[in-house]
Amino acid sequence: MKKVNGPARFLALVAFPVAVSLICGPAIAQDDGARAYWKGRAGTNVVSFQYLNMHLDASDALQFDPAHYIYPSADADADIFIANYARHMTLFNRPASLMVNVVGGSVEADFDTSLTPPEFLPPGVVPGVSFSQSASGYADPSVQLDVNLLGTPPLKAGFDLLNYEPTWTLDAAVMLGVPLGEYDSSKVVNLGLNRFFGRIAFPFKYHFGVFAPGYMSSLEVVPSVWLFAENDNFVGQKLENDPLWQLEAHWTHDFTRHFFGSIDLLYRNGFQSEINGVDVGSDLEIGDVGVTLNFQVTDNLTLRTSFSSNVFGDSNIDTSMVRLQVVYAWHKAMQNMKKLGNE
Amino acid sequence: MSKSENVAHTQSLLLVTFLLMVNGLALAQDDRPNFLLIVADDMGYSDLGSYGGEINTPVLDDLAQQGMRYTDFYVSPTCSVTRSMLLSGTDNHVAGLGNMGELLAPNQVGQPGYEGVLNKRVATVASLLRDSGYHTYMVGKWHLGLQPDQIPHARGFERDFSLLVGGGSHFDDQWNVEWQIPRGPYTEDGRPVAKLPKDFYSTKNYTDKTIQFIGEGRGDGKPFFAYMAFTAPHGPLQVPDDWLRRYKNQYDEGWDVIRIRRLARMQELGIVEEGVSTAERLWFLPRASMLAPGVRVMLGRKMELYASMVEYMDDQIGRVFDYLKQIGEYDNTVVIFFSDNGAEGNDLVGMLAGRPGTMGYLHAANNFAEASHNFIGRKGSFAEYGPAWAQVSMAPFRLFKGFVAEGGTRSPLIVSGPGVQGAGGINTNAILHIMDLTPTLLELAGVEHPATFQGRDIVPMQGKSWVQMLTGAAQSPRSSDDWLGFELFGNRAIRQGDWKISWHYRPFGTWDWQLFNLDADPGEQYDLSEKFPKKRAELMALWDEYVEMNGVIIGNRSPYEQARKSFPEAVLDSDSYPPVRGLEAIPHKKLIELLSQ
Repeated sequence: MKKVNGPARFLALVAFPVAVSLICGPAIAQDDGARAYWKGRAGTNVVSFQYLNMHLDASDALQFDPAHYIYPSADADADIFIANYARHMTLFNRPASLMVNVVGGSVEADFDTSLTPPEFLPPGVVPGVSFSQSASGYADPSVQLDVNLLGTPPLKAGFDLLNYEPTWTLDAAVMLGVPLGEYDSSKVVNLGLNRFFGRIAFPFKYHFGVFAPGYMSSLEVVPSVWLFAENDNFVGQKLENDPLWQLEAHWTHDFTRHFFGSIDLLYRNGFQSEINGVDVGSDLEIGDVGVTLNFQVTDNLTLRTSFSSNVFGDSNIDTSMVRLQVVYAWHKAMQNMKKLGNE
Repeated sequence: MSKSENVAHTQSLLLVTFLLMVNGLALAQDDRPNFLLIVADDMGYSDLGSYGGEINTPVLDDLAQQGMRYTDFYVSPTCSVTRSMLLSGTDNHVAGLGNMGELLAPNQVGQPGYEGVLNKRVATVASLLRDSGYHTYMVGKWHLGLQPDQIPHARGFERDFSLLVGGGSHFDDQWNVEWQIPRGPYTEDGRPVAKLPKDFYSTKNYTDKTIQFIGEGRGDGKPFFAYMAFTAPHGPLQVPDDWLRRYKNQYDEGWDVIRIRRLARMQELGIVEEGVSTAERLWFLPRASMLAPGVRVMLGRKMELYASMVEYMDDQIGRVFDYLKQIGEYDNTVVIFFSDNGAEGNDLVGMLAGRPGTMGYLHAANNFAEASHNFIGRKGSFAEYGPAWAQVSMAPFRLFKGFVAEGGTRSPLIVSGPGVQGAGGINTNAILHIMDLTPTLLELAGVEHPATFQGRDIVPMQGKSWVQMLTGAAQSPRSSDDWLGFELFGNRAIRQGDWKISWHYRPFGTWDWQLFNLDADPGEQYDLSEKFPKKRAELMALWDEYVEMNGVIIGNRSPYEQARKSFPEAVLDSDSYPPVRGLEAIPHKKLIELLSQ
C-alpha cells in the first residue's frame, strides 16, 4: 500500500524540473533559444551563463547582430559571455517573467576596405588598405519583461503546475537595451551600441503530445522586431537603422525525461543603415538553421549546447555560432522541501 | 410443502410462464428472456449515482429506476473467486477457486477445490443455458483457467472475446500484470488472438464484440445469455485520451469530504440508514485536509481517472442498451449489474514490482514504469488510486478488495427486466450472494440443474434463486436462519441475519474472531464479542460447518500474514480527534441502542 508521504516528496521533485528547463531569454541579439518561454512557478529563479563563439565572413555590408554593426567585407570572430537572471512571477494575475542580461566579451575583425564607403572609414584608415580592430569589455545590458496573454494560467503554487497542461500559448515580451557598454567612437568595432535599443516580441508555442517529462514536444515561433535609437557618434557621424524584423522558430522534442533537442530557425530581415541621413548598403537578410541539445543534470542544473549557421538569405554571408550554456534554477519552497526530505 | 411454499412455487411458475409469453410470441420460437450479465471489475459500492456516488452514471442510474437495487449483495473479496461462484452457483472452495490460482498456499496445492481454475466438479450456467437452447456470449475478463479445456469456449460460451488472465493494460500493448505471462492472452471464439487492433480499449472493444455477437446470433429465434465481464475500473487506471480530464480537479478536496458527501447522498437515497455506524477512515491514512494542496491534486488525479473509467463503462453499457432497443430485445432482457469485489485499495504495483532485481520489477520497467502526473491514465502507465479512495468507493464500509470485511465483499446490484417488480425501489432486506446468480438464471430459463454433466457428476448448487424475490413474492431468498460463509487468504467470515463474525490478520483484524451487528454497525467498527459471547459462539459453530461442508483449507501462507510489519497497529479513528472544526462526530444511535440491551 502506498505511503502518503511519497507524493509529497514527488511533488517537490516533479515541480522543479519544469522550472529548471526554462532558459533565460535573449541575452545578445541571437535567438532566445528553444523553450525560452516555457513557464515556471511564480518565484522560480533562473540564472544562466552562456558562452558564444561567433564567426562572420562577409563580402558585403551586413550586421553581425543588431548590437554590433560590422563592416562590409569583414571577417570577424567574437567570444561573448552572457550572464542572465530571470525570475518568474505573476503580473496582473498573468504568468510573467522579468529578465536581466549582462553581456561581455571580445570581438576581433579584419576589414578589406576596397569596397568600403568612405563614411565607414575610421579616422586614419586609407581606402583600399586592410585593417583590423578589436573590442572587449561589457556590452550593453538589457532587461526584458514577458507576460503571457493566452493559454497559461497563473502558476502560483505547486498544484497550479500539476494542473498545467498547455496546448498553445501566446506571450508579449518587451526588451530594452541600455547603452552602458564599452564604446569607442573612434572605432567601428564596439561591444556597446551607444544608443538605446529594444525589441517587441510575441512568443507563440504549441505543445504536442503529453505534457510530461520525456514526452513533450513543441513548436515555438517568436516573431519580433528590433528597434534602434540613433547613434550620434558613429566614428563622428550619425548612424540610424531601420527596424530589424526577426522570426525565430524551434521544433523541440524530449528524447528522455532529462534530455531534449531542438531544430532551430532564425530569420532576420531589415536593418537598413543610414549615415548622416543617407542610405548605406541594403537591407539585411539572414536565415540561420541550427540544432540545440539540452540535458538536465540535476533537478536544478541544466546544460545546453547549440550550433547554427546561415543557410539562406544573403548569399555573400557566412556565419556560424556555437553556444554552451549552464542554467541553474531554484525555488525557495522546493529547496526547503528537499531540505526536509533529506533530514 | 407448506402452504406458503406452495404459494411461492406457484408465483415462480407464473413468472416463468410470463417470461415465456413476453411479446406474445409463440413458445416454439423460444421467447424465454435474454440475460445480460454485466460485471464491473473492482468497482466500489457507492460509485454509481444510484448508490450515492458523484460519478456520472446516467445509464446505470436509469437501469436502477427501471429495476431494483439491492443493498446486501455479497461477492468474494477477489475477482476469480467471485467468478467461479457466479458461473457455478456453488462455493468457491468447491468450484476450484478455494484460493486465487496465483496465490495458492503450499498446503492447498493439489487439494480438491484448490485447482486455481474453475474445476470440472461444476457445470457453468453458460453450458447449461447453451444446452437448453440459448446463445451464450462472453466478453472481457475470464480469469478461470488458461488451458484449452478451461477457457470460455470450453466452458459453455459459443462466442467469446476474452482476456484469460486477471488484468493488465486496457490498450493494445496487452501487458499483463504478472511477469510470468508478459502479454495478456486473449481468445476469440476459443482461438488465441494474435494481435489487438491499434485503437483497442478494453471497455469499448468488449462492447463492440457484445453488440456484434448479439447481432450475428439473432434471427434464429433463440434467446441469448451475454456475460459482459468488463475489466474496468480494475487497475491500471487507464482511459482514452479524450476522457483523461473528464473529472479534472473534481477530487482535489480529498477523500474525506467526498466520502462525507457520498454518505449523505446514500442516506438520502435510502442505501444507508441514518443513525448507523459507518466505517472509520482507516487508521493508517491521513486526513485529506492535512495534505498539501499539490498532494491532493496528485492523489485526486487518480480518482479522476477511476471516475472516468466508471463513466466510460456506463456510456458503453448504454450502447448495448441502445442496440437492444433498436432490435426490439431490450424489453425481453433481464439485465443484472454488479461488481466482482470491493474496490481495490491494495498496492498491486508494489506487490508486482516492488523489489528491484526481480522479474516483476523488470516487467514493470519494460511495460508500465511511467508514473508522472500528466502521463498516468495513458498507455504505459499503471496508476492505482490507493486505499483512501478505495474506502470512498466502498462507503460506508470498512476495508476493501482482498478482505472479508464488508468493504471487500459488498457490491452494488441492479436487476431489471421482464418480471422484475418494484421499479426504482431499493431492497434493504434481502441478503444475496453471488452464488445465487446461476440458480436464478436457470430458473428464469426453465432449466433444471443436473446431477451429471457430460458424463461426470457435478456438485449441487448452494446459491438460492431470486425469482420469488424478483416477482415481489418474497423480500429475500434467505430466512433469518440462513447464513453465508467467506474465506480467502485466511481471512474468514460468517454472516447470519444482522450478525457477522470475521477473522482478519493483524492489523486489519485481531487474529481472532470479532463480532459485529451490521444493522447497527455496517462499518464494522465495534466488536461486540464481549457483549454477545453466545452469538459469537453460534456463528463460530457455523464457521466450522462451513469448513466441513466446503472443504476449506486455511492456507499456511497468506499475502496478509506479514501485514502487521507493514502497517501500524489499528486504532479506532474518530471524526472528532484530532479535532477539526466543522467535522462533528456522528452519534451512532442504533449501536447505542444495541449496547443498551
